[in-house]
Amino acid sequence: MVVLVAPFFVAFALFFLAPIGYAIYQSFFKLTSSGLGLTEPVLEFAGLGNYVTALSQEAFVASIGRVLVFSLIEVPTMVVCALGLALLLDSARARFQPFFRVSFFLPYGVPGVIASLLWGFLYVPQTSPLIDVLAAMGLPHDFLGPDTILLSIANISTWQFAGYNMLVLIAGLQAIPRELYEAARVDGASELRIAWHVKIPLVRAPLILITVFTLIGTLQLVVEPLILKPLTTAINSDYTPNLAAYNQAFGQADVHLASAEATLIAIMAFVISFGFLRLVNRKGNRAW
Amino acid sequence: MGPKIPRAARLVAAVVAMGLAAACGGGSSAPAGTAASGDPAQPVTLTFWSWVPDIQKAVDAFNTAHPGIKVKLETITPGPDGGYAKMLAAVKAGNAPDVAQVGYDSLPSFLVNGALQDVTQYAKDDAAKFVDWQWQTGVFGDKVYAIPQASGPMGFYYRKDLFTKWGLEAPKTWDDFAAAAATIRKKDKSAYISTFAANQAPWMISLAQQAGQQWFRTEGDAWKVTIDNPDTRKMAAYWQKMLDDKLVKTEADMSNAWYKDLQTGSIVGWIGGSWGDAIIRGNAPGTSGKWAVAPMPQWAGAAQFTSASWGGGSASAILKGTKNPGPATDFAVWLNSAPESVNTLLSAGYGWPSVKDTSQITNLQKDDTVFPFYGGQNIWEVFKQADAAVATDWRWPPVSDALYSSLTDNAKAAVQGDGTLTDAFAKTQQAMVDQLKAKGLNVVTGG
Repeated sequence: MVVLVAPFFVAFALFFLAPIGYAIYQSFFKLTSSGLGLTEPVLEFAGLGNYVTALSQEAFVASIGRVLVFSLIEVPTMVVCALGLALLLDSARARFQPFFRVSFFLPYGVPGVIASLLWGFLYVPQTSPLIDVLAAMGLPHDFLGPDTILLSIANISTWQFAGYNMLVLIAGLQAIPRELYEAARVDGASELRIAWHVKIPLVRAPLILITVFTLIGTLQLVVEPLILKPLTTAINSDYTPNLAAYNQAFGQADVHLASAEATLIAIMAFVISFGFLRLVNRKGNRAW
Repeated sequence: MGPKIPRAARLVAAVVAMGLAAACGGGSSAPAGTAASGDPAQPVTLTFWSWVPDIQKAVDAFNTAHPGIKVKLETITPGPDGGYAKMLAAVKAGNAPDVAQVGYDSLPSFLVNGALQDVTQYAKDDAAKFVDWQWQTGVFGDKVYAIPQASGPMGFYYRKDLFTKWGLEAPKTWDDFAAAAATIRKKDKSAYISTFAANQAPWMISLAQQAGQQWFRTEGDAWKVTIDNPDTRKMAAYWQKMLDDKLVKTEADMSNAWYKDLQTGSIVGWIGGSWGDAIIRGNAPGTSGKWAVAPMPQWAGAAQFTSASWGGGSASAILKGTKNPGPATDFAVWLNSAPESVNTLLSAGYGWPSVKDTSQITNLQKDDTVFPFYGGQNIWEVFKQADAAVATDWRWPPVSDALYSSLTDNAKAAVQGDGTLTDAFAKTQQAMVDQLKAKGLNVVTGG
């Protein structure tokens, strides 16, 4: 038995625990120079100094607030879209079901960077056919302004992940015994009532699952703002917590502060997702 | 592409001969046993990281001329986009390249991170080959760490055909520039004289560099930070007014949108570095023959013609951990001073040569790739004048990466209407003081 699980634990320790441990270890140190800084710096133990620095940076705290707002927009949008698509495809009358299932899932196969580049072209006035059409119709068409950029980012992630989440829900829907629908119909329930009273309660577990996945994904938002950043003045180098950590590590070569920020992001995602699970599990019917 | 002139060939031969002589303890510039000689049978292998287009040709030429050294080029992401992080990580991991492309602005950061190799003993006699201010960018406390490659003196690229059509001339002063910008807005409602590139810290810094007072200098054992100075405030107020009057666009430069605007004539000018020629030629080929280059507009009442250099320029730095600092230095010196190499790099758009004696750089006199795009104008004359008028007392702090992200973030906020550009520079000043102090460096402020 031990032999059988050994490969897993070795890989788990090597590729999961070790990097996390190393990042946490790094977060307790800092490089200090002196005078003009023209001599080699010294590595010093900083205790929680990097955490204090991170949390006293206005920009970093603002970025945390920003992803929380983003979660409030993105999580409901995602769940509603994924559930809507899943219910439509699951209804027996849907034709070409396999075709639509694959089409909705396809964006998930597009790497995040490519998806952001594609949408980036659609958001920039000089290259976007979409904006020409919207402008001609007199509709608002500034996708990259300070008030709209968060929605534009939400649009990219919804486009990318709704299909995947839909598949998770469809798997749940198909596991529901058909007899339940027949019983409901015999009782005179319409398709809408079946969806509301039978289907949705029975996919509660997968619904919670995709909510948590989306929540964690939104808290770790990084690719979309990173790619859209050159296109707009509305995204700065500390736009999201992950982007701030990335900027510290790769823009400013301060891996220690970056590690502290990354650890803070992990703690935040952990607390929020488990807090959410506790909240939905309180009613005594455990979904997870 | 590099023209093969007999004189250059002789020079290459001389360099090789010098290397061979060094091995015999002959009168070479480098100490015996450390120079480029090597053993052709067992060549020294060097790794070189760079992102300069077409630099492979120069590396090939070096390898042909130096059988004792084999340089392997690895093309990497440009430094500010992640290349520097990769280098610093490689130095830390002990597998760094021997020589790497590092901007003048980033050399102090590399030094502070302990990533540069002291090559004074191999390079001390090469100083005379290079323009002094460029050479000094790689020297810290009398020690040599990098060989300068090129600077980016600034000029004003403009659509001469459209300027002529609208009855305009290239602006001589910043007041002329503002007036021309207003005229252009009146003549064509889709056209702008330029963009205000809030995304481009080195560009904004070069505007400040030209305006007068410098941002960083050393006072004894401390850095003096004077970003928020009267000259920079004057420049900031000028561009704030341009933004308020909507006389300039606010899109990012060197972006797809900006390229499109260059192609369609929606943006008809650019205050850019000498290497910007390759960018315009490469991204708006359809506008060939319609461009011209004028000197950077001047501030009214300036005592003498002043220009600036975009992000300082770029060097070949010898990184910590190299096992062959001697051959690495010889390669870096050759790459940046041998005429056949410089000629190749010049056409590829690497910037303005750091070599002092440019008489061998034939492409500066006649360049059939470049000049026709500007209606036959020898644009290098403009940049030669500009390079000679760069403020040479500019010092880069060991936190230029933080300076860049802070300045762009603050300028982007100002462009969006959150404060003014003047505020943006004041905020950047504060951020830099904090950043230097956080690193444990001594800081003084003041005007």
